[in-house]
Amino acid sequence: MKEEQTAKSPPQQVMALVMEAGSTLLENGGEVLRVQQTMQIMAQSLGLPDFHVYVLTSGIFASAQGSVSEVRHMPYITVNLGRVEAVNELSREVAAGALTLQEASARLQEIRAMPPYSRLTEVVAAAVGAGSFAYLFGAHTPAPMLVAAVAGAAELLLTRWLQKLHINRIFSDMAAAAIAMAIVLGCGALLPGLNANSAVIGALMVLTPGVALVMGIRDFINADYLSGTIRLISAVLVAGSLAFGVGFAYTLARQLWGVAL
Amino acid sequence: MTNPLGLLAQFGAAALATVCFSVLFGVQRRHFWACGLTGAVGWLAYLAATGVGASPAMATFLAALPLTLLARVFAIHNKAPVTLFLLCGIFPLVPGAGIYYTAYYFLLDDRLQCLNRGVETLKIAVGLAVGIALVSSLPMAKKRG
Repeated sequence: MKEEQTAKSPPQQVMALVMEAGSTLLENGGEVLRVQQTMQIMAQSLGLPDFHVYVLTSGIFASAQGSVSEVRHMPYITVNLGRVEAVNELSREVAAGALTLQEASARLQEIRAMPPYSRLTEVVAAAVGAGSFAYLFGAHTPAPMLVAAVAGAAELLLTRWLQKLHINRIFSDMAAAAIAMAIVLGCGALLPGLNANSAVIGALMVLTPGVALVMGIRDFINADYLSGTIRLISAVLVAGSLAFGVGFAYTLARQLWGVAL
Repeated sequence: MTNPLGLLAQFGAAALATVCFSVLFGVQRRHFWACGLTGAVGWLAYLAATGVGASPAMATFLAALPLTLLARVFAIHNKAPVTLFLLCGIFPLVPGAGIYYTAYYFLLDDRLQCLNRGVETLKIAVGLAVGIALVSSLPMAKKRG
């Protein structure tokens, strides 16, 4: 046995670090294969013997020699690619042997505390993004782009607020899509001749399940079929929620005021 | 859409939209230009493909090829995970319009159009998937872990 090298860092602490790094990646939108490989590389570099890990979209199972094992369940993913990149960088430095266990743990805590952009920046980004998409999808006058921007900003504020209240994703997507549709219909009633379709599509882009779709595809490519299936199902569910939200607002408006699209 | 000014506007709007989405995904500022360029190139490729008569699904597939390639090049150049550029850059090609029109015709009870749009959306998603899968599987000089 080569306890001399491994004695420096107790397996439990190494496992805790590796698990923390893996969950940070998974929670912030890393794909399954990346999480798995990063954890393996880190465990190997830090001398954790007999390390095995199984990663799913919503959980990590890992074990190592000496009855060291950890399981994590992570049902909620909030995409923050800045953190994914930072953990990636960290694992590269650990693999190069440039960091001790303590340094790596400290760095990981910093990464986990990395703030997203401010709420104001996010709102502006959602508004400008929705407006630009409205243009790409056929808006040729400023009016639908502006309407899409307002609806996009409203969607972002609403989803972030519902997220804070721990309302589930399906409901918050339905509500946000309904609000967006209501805003567009309301503006359409005020501005006759508004290109409502391009405005709605632009606004809905903020909610489209692009992340789940692409991540699902990437999981499939990496032969993580179970994780890929989970993501694709969530993509379909989100798409369905959007459709339902739009439909709800539209039907309500038609029943109440006879607004036509 | 063939005049250069219009193309430039499309390019700019696609880049702007992609950068806005990278803000929402917490991408670091230094990658914004790469994300924007990835998205804009994908969108122009899509426009070019539809311009020569490709179906939306086919055009999405064709556009996903240069887009994914560019994402991989930027990943190596900027030393960052491919996900960063791919996730943001793909957004102009995500069939948001398809989802909306499927729901729209569903509401109008136009079943033929609803089914039409639904199948179309599915085809676009498949085209996107195959495009990404093809280029992701290409071996590259420097393999990233």
